[in-house]
Amino acid sequence: MRVEQIPAASFFSLLSEEGLRIRLGPFNVRISTNLRHLAEQLHFLYAHYELVEDEITEFHVKIVSKRSIPRPFSASVHFLVDDQEPFPPAPVNQALAILEWGINLAIALRTNHLLLFHSAAVERNGNVLLLPAWPGSGKTTLCTVLAHRGFRLFSDEFGLMDTECDELLPVPRLMSLKNQSIDVIKRYLPEASMGQAIPHTQKGTVAHVRPPQESIEQSAKTAKARWIIFPKWVADSPLRLERLPQSEAFLLLASNSFNYEILGEAAYKAVTRLVKTCHCYKLVYSDFDRVLTALNELTYGG
Amino acid sequence: MGNFSNHQKLLRNALIDPVSVLDYSISEWELLLRLVRRVKLLGHLAIELERRGLSNKIPVRAANQLRSGLIRAKKFQQLARWELDRITWALKGMNIPVVVLKGGAYMLARLPSAEGRFFIDLDIMVPQEQLDQVEACLLKRGWRHREISTYDEHYYRAWSQEIPALIHRERETEVDIHHTIAPVTSRIRLDARLLFDDAITVGSPEYRILCPVDMVLHCSVNLFQNNELADDLRDLLDLHSMLCVFPHEDTQFWEKMISRANQLRLGRPLFYGIWFTRMIFQTPVPEKIENTLNQKPGLFSRWIMNALVPSALLPLHPDYPARFAQFARFLLYLRSHWIRMPFHLLISHLAYKCYLRLRPPSKPMIKK
Repeated sequence: MRVEQIPAASFFSLLSEEGLRIRLGPFNVRISTNLRHLAEQLHFLYAHYELVEDEITEFHVKIVSKRSIPRPFSASVHFLVDDQEPFPPAPVNQALAILEWGINLAIALRTNHLLLFHSAAVERNGNVLLLPAWPGSGKTTLCTVLAHRGFRLFSDEFGLMDTECDELLPVPRLMSLKNQSIDVIKRYLPEASMGQAIPHTQKGTVAHVRPPQESIEQSAKTAKARWIIFPKWVADSPLRLERLPQSEAFLLLASNSFNYEILGEAAYKAVTRLVKTCHCYKLVYSDFDRVLTALNELTYGG
Repeated sequence: MGNFSNHQKLLRNALIDPVSVLDYSISEWELLLRLVRRVKLLGHLAIELERRGLSNKIPVRAANQLRSGLIRAKKFQQLARWELDRITWALKGMNIPVVVLKGGAYMLARLPSAEGRFFIDLDIMVPQEQLDQVEACLLKRGWRHREISTYDEHYYRAWSQEIPALIHRERETEVDIHHTIAPVTSRIRLDARLLFDDAITVGSPEYRILCPVDMVLHCSVNLFQNNELADDLRDLLDLHSMLCVFPHEDTQFWEKMISRANQLRLGRPLFYGIWFTRMIFQTPVPEKIENTLNQKPGLFSRWIMNALVPSALLPLHPDYPARFAQFARFLLYLRSHWIRMPFHLLISHLAYKCYLRLRPPSKPMIKK
């Protein structure tokens, strides 16, 4: 059963009572909240996710609104994972944004049975294209475009690698666009399903794009990486797609991982295998049409 | 005794007899994982199941979570070991005895509970006379204090058993430097020199840990004198592990244990240590041995502690926290302060903490 099959009326009581259990790729998450407006947003944005039945749920998160003694007149929302609050509360209208960040944070902090890259990932013909990048490089924006133009979305945030079989695991989550990217995507991908823009967050204005239904339906299908491309959006720049030497790719990839140091030797060996078996590039772009042409050529030709 | 609620039984059975998890249902596993995570024992349970060859016989999702916890615990052990190596290097030639305490000590002593034990800070103890020298030396060699308020600085220096934590500028491991094992404001008065005199070397000649009986005493003092007990099950498990292993290594362990506790006048925390490891982990402690201690708690204190401590050490049910357990934790929080400092200090300290909690935040809540 999927979220969209739950009537809107009973969806809120599910969220506020036993909690909504959904499958996010390899992880099961249970979400509870007493906020109606968050329930409405989730009913639309989480529509395609499958409900968890008879499986262990690893992440139990809550969004609750509270008034505090120091600030009695403005309610704020708190994100809790297993009753721990990893970051300060935020204004009520930011509930969805902090829910998404909170789940990402919980995944990043708790997952060490997989190697985690801070990377977008998409798939075509059974091969994964990893797009590791640092904040501000436009990774999510590019990933949103690819996910709507013939690639299957793995994730806009996490490259999850099982170092025992070198398979990458999809974890298709909402893609959170920031500031100018919101209008850029609205213009370029009018068909994308986007939530309301949330202004004044820690990262400026954010808006969430729902992953395409096929990507969520196929989120149990893993694949190996074939291309690693480090993207960077630079205003008005011509397109440049340059081969990276393995040594440089290794350093970039190792320093991009969330848990490289914790995994130690296993991570070192896995990154070594990745840069040896993948084609590694550096990409500078400003225009989506040109990027799509170049990446189509690369992924169909290679 | 034996009045554990269902979620407490679920956790307790898994820790006492790990094989019992093979019968757990999916929903019991889910709850168990949340409880184990709360008391920082993911790595511990992972090791216990691995030792029995059960890692492949449990649900994959559970195995992944346990393995993640174990990998993290091992990494932090490695970091603590390296920090200890660097401390030893920095203090080389100064001829100062450095005694490793708590997690680092259990690791060096290879206690069974140490292999998957998660701990972040490295705790060491040096003689009070040489504390300034050690601090100055480490500050010169790249360690620094984290910024803390003047009040906290005063709290550490004047009232506690340790100085504000040091962190090397290139690393993240916090080093806590103690000069004794109980806050100087508490009612416990002991001569820390006795602890140094009996400390033993382990592994390398530069690494010292407390002798077994003192390790047990420190763990008990830390639990029942210094801490608030909420979710401190890991420390009680250390105690259980020590009380299982040490009597095998030394047939006179229990005689030495009792006479040392009497000598240092630490009978009361040891009494509770024995009492609660037996109650929660069924530790094989000789019957009634705690009655030979000099400073036993009275019947009323025993009755109160018996009623409150299990609710604090064992985690709350994550979805349905019992009101009684929350109240018990609150009372034990007050108790921990009550026994940590004299009344006049306690009142001003709690008043200050209360003020910190209630005053409007000085910075805007989100934007940094």
